[in-house]
Amino acid sequence: MKDSNTRIDEQFVSSVLSGDLPAIDSLLTPRDAGLSPAELVDLFETQVMSRHLDLQSRLMQKKGQSFYTIGSAGHEGNAAYAKAFRYDDMAFLHYRSGAFVIQRSKQVPGQTPLYDMLLSFAASSEDPVSGGRHKVLGSKDLFIPPQTSTIASHLPKAMGAAYSVGLANKLDANPVLQDDAVIVCNFGDASANHSTAQGAINAAAWASYQSSPMPIVFICEDNGIGISTPTPSGWIKANFENKPGLKYMSCNGLDVLDTYKTAQEAVAYSRRTRKPVFLHFHTVRLLGHAGSDSEFVYRDMETISAIEKKDPLLHTAGILLDNEILTPQQVVDIYQGVKTKVARIADYAGQRPRLEHADQVLESLVPEKHDPNLPEPAQPIDRAELFKHEKHNLAKPQHLAKLINWTLMDVMASNGNVVMCGEDIGRKGGVYNVTSRLIEKFGSPRVINTLLDEQSILGLAIGLAHNGLLPIPEIQFLAYVHNAEDQIRGEAATLSFFSRGQYTNPMVIRIAGLAYQKGFGGHFHNDNSFAVFRDIPGVIVANPSNGADAVEMLRECVRLAQEEQRVVVFLEPIALYMTKDLHEAGDGLWTFPYVEPEKAEPIKLGDIGQYGEGQDLAIVTYGNGYYLSRQAEKRLSEQGINTRVIDLRWLAPLNESAIVDAVKDCDHILVVDECRKTGSISEAILAAFVENAAQLNAQPSMIKRICAEDSFIPLGSASYTVLPSQDSIYEFALDLVKGKTATHVERVEPSQEAENV
Amino acid sequence: MSNQKQTALVICPGRGTYNKDELGYLHRYHADKLHILDAIDTERAVNGQKSVRELDSMASYSMKQHTVGENAASLIYACSKADFMAINRDKYDIVGVTGNSMGWYIALAVAGALNEANAAKLINTMGSMMAGGTIGGQSIYPIVDENWKVSPSMVEQVNSAMAEVNAHPDAELHESIRLGGYMVFGGNDKALKMLESILPKLEERYPMRLFNHAAFHTPMLDDIAKKAQTLLPASLFQAPEVPLVDGKGQIWQPYSTDVEKLHHYTLDAQVNRTYDFTKAIEVSIKEFAPDKLIVLGPGATLGGAIAQTLIMHKWQDFQDKADFISRQKVEPYLLAMGMEKQREWVL
Repeated sequence: MKDSNTRIDEQFVSSVLSGDLPAIDSLLTPRDAGLSPAELVDLFETQVMSRHLDLQSRLMQKKGQSFYTIGSAGHEGNAAYAKAFRYDDMAFLHYRSGAFVIQRSKQVPGQTPLYDMLLSFAASSEDPVSGGRHKVLGSKDLFIPPQTSTIASHLPKAMGAAYSVGLANKLDANPVLQDDAVIVCNFGDASANHSTAQGAINAAAWASYQSSPMPIVFICEDNGIGISTPTPSGWIKANFENKPGLKYMSCNGLDVLDTYKTAQEAVAYSRRTRKPVFLHFHTVRLLGHAGSDSEFVYRDMETISAIEKKDPLLHTAGILLDNEILTPQQVVDIYQGVKTKVARIADYAGQRPRLEHADQVLESLVPEKHDPNLPEPAQPIDRAELFKHEKHNLAKPQHLAKLINWTLMDVMASNGNVVMCGEDIGRKGGVYNVTSRLIEKFGSPRVINTLLDEQSILGLAIGLAHNGLLPIPEIQFLAYVHNAEDQIRGEAATLSFFSRGQYTNPMVIRIAGLAYQKGFGGHFHNDNSFAVFRDIPGVIVANPSNGADAVEMLRECVRLAQEEQRVVVFLEPIALYMTKDLHEAGDGLWTFPYVEPEKAEPIKLGDIGQYGEGQDLAIVTYGNGYYLSRQAEKRLSEQGINTRVIDLRWLAPLNESAIVDAVKDCDHILVVDECRKTGSISEAILAAFVENAAQLNAQPSMIKRICAEDSFIPLGSASYTVLPSQDSIYEFALDLVKGKTATHVERVEPSQEAENV
Repeated sequence: MSNQKQTALVICPGRGTYNKDELGYLHRYHADKLHILDAIDTERAVNGQKSVRELDSMASYSMKQHTVGENAASLIYACSKADFMAINRDKYDIVGVTGNSMGWYIALAVAGALNEANAAKLINTMGSMMAGGTIGGQSIYPIVDENWKVSPSMVEQVNSAMAEVNAHPDAELHESIRLGGYMVFGGNDKALKMLESILPKLEERYPMRLFNHAAFHTPMLDDIAKKAQTLLPASLFQAPEVPLVDGKGQIWQPYSTDVEKLHHYTLDAQVNRTYDFTKAIEVSIKEFAPDKLIVLGPGATLGGAIAQTLIMHKWQDFQDKADFISRQKVEPYLLAMGMEKQREWVL
């Protein structure tokens, strides 16, 4: 049996020359579809180029020159809808979009799609998109952010980018997209089942339903199968045909005339009405799911053969012949000519250099700094007016929540491209009033009350960032980020990496989290695990323990996003939002004056905090742990133990050298970690101490940690049983320094503890 | 040299390539093909212009006669066309054609997008557009260092000089041609003089005014573009027989070329907007991956610009000028038919 590559290749030539071409359902002529003969041939050439790239990638793989063969065969009809969009209508594409990219490249002179894609197949460091980091379809010139093969995870950001189109022109920003842009986003029928896809389409429809502009054309390329699992007949149509706020259209993806005509209508509708369209594009899959997929295992040869006879290239050839635009021999000449050319380019591209060192690979994890060059605000900032409602409080020390609120107020006033989005952040001002009054000061375009879907919130933020805005999304509780974390891990964090820093999506993700809410809320409101962010390359995690630090750290986070294009997580300890006192009721030691931006004393990325100079003991901690350790420190000093308390402030990347430096002259070190023993940052800190033991005064046996139990947070007073407390820290430290044998650390009664925090 | 048939991409030269050394080129190399001059000289006779036969046969080279547009264009075209015909097709498959500036018209002709008579007409007409008085001029300046590697500081210098000149109300300066390691400016006399005073003198010749050249490829020729479209209708054009790469880096394929669009590009943006020869070469090498680049004669002045472009893209791993020159001596990648030794590879 011939392999599928050979079958498809030979079948095309023999079918064209013998006239054995598939029947065409539509009676459209090229003129009916709005295509000239030259344009139709041009589309065909694109399809042929895409096909030969796929065939060639498999030959390259056999030679050890290519590492990824998932392709576009059968989906080449997407060339026709590519032509219906402008090249600057940003495109979020799935991995079967080779023909789309080639066709769009023809709208921008000077593009080299064949060479570029072959470099990408070869993972060459000269690949202009990812620099050899992945086989991606993408291009800066063509407004195609690179996309890897994650499933449907690009839909939320496509929705976000669409939302940004109507928003950006209302702001003091430098938008990337035109005011009348339409976003195009394609995906497969199997991916349409993914919750990410469903959520994004739902969010688009939800916005459109209430008349928010959402100019996007979702294109479901339905080939009837997801790897080996068939899509039930009629499933996609039944699912999306009657969704409120979403216009459903359908085309025969095998027929470039029908596809082009329908896509033109879809684009015109979306551009005119600013509403979303769901374009259902019916096609076939050829060459299996990918090079490694043995299709005959789950499909019989008769079925495979019947599908192969529906080859879209044969359909286009048939249209060209029926309309007497080309002769069969001319069609074959084009086909063979492209084949020879692609093989020649592949021979060269396959031998181009690859990434050879880790530092080359890591180069694009963090994008280059850039000047945001924002337009001057339409009106000068009037801080007196901005803070008029707080004029009697502004000079008084405040708690964390208020100080974050005021910082956001100043940040939004002085950064015209900042947009906030999240659940209940509008009139309600957030669950903890941290976003209070922002909507009144800056309006609903800049303070977006979203629907209840974290994937959509983060996708919205990523999409806004693609259009030159600086989003500050809010995740209401840390536990809620976990069903959406791939938007950070798989999408936001990878964008610079897979695009050589050409595309970035800077943002500051505010997340209220961590435990100690006076027994309130249970696990989902007291989640004490942020491990999910710590291993994502390039992501910054900030965690202030007090209001004074929060002000400066939040400003630094916004600067990191604005000027260094970083993805930043700003983790706010909920339990400390309203905390005012440290040692006793009314002492007000956890309130701080608000330092206005002009008088700021910046806390830069990696700057750690330190309280005290004691050398007997260093407590290394963060967040609530810092607060509790400060309480313990007072008691320890009364016991003659001179202690210093180190506040990490920045949890990722961890500034190991600064931490080691801060504790190296201490006799004992205690790491206080409010997160779980397993997977918490205390592990990394202890590892750093081991690796830098030679620099430390403390012997290994004098370095300990106290962590939360490996448990979820229970409700009520039980929550304190699994968390470090002021007393347990005190006891542990005493034991460590004084050498008392205390195998069991007695915990204080929860009711007593609850008073402290 | 390999006996296996190779692929070649042909590059057509622009103005300024028929110089003193090229006098007699046609009669020296192409005595057997002088019949191609019939169409060219018939067109010139109609316009009362000196024949190419005569120009090529003159006893001595005359700057005035040989470099003026209405003579140089047809003369260079004739030499290039003859060179194109001389390429040994048993050795080379021609996979694409491109050109620089006026070389675009020659590319159209040799690729078959203009027949003999129409090519003669178009090239002579466009070459003669300045007969009534040259509009502006051109000046050339390098953006590469002595090793032919792009120097960001020189690029910056050129850009800031252009901005400085254009800040003056009477001066008008544009990017005319991106020519590998050189920038060709097009502008009015005031602008070009200012440029000469702003840019530091290099190699005792740059910035160098191009004698008898108008400010082609700039908006200063907007009216000329309109005139050309009136004089030269789309009916002169046909689809090319081999792919063409234009001065924006766009590819025109034989079966998908819209002749109206080809005509419009040729007599509109090609005339009055920047000609990006650097991009044309980049697209040519990347999208056709030819075994060889053949530069038609006369002359070989494009060689440097092409080599600099190859170095820009590390094509064939060319590192710098010295590397390029030394490898050219062993087995040339770039075959300039205006150079005797390299010409032999092509025939």
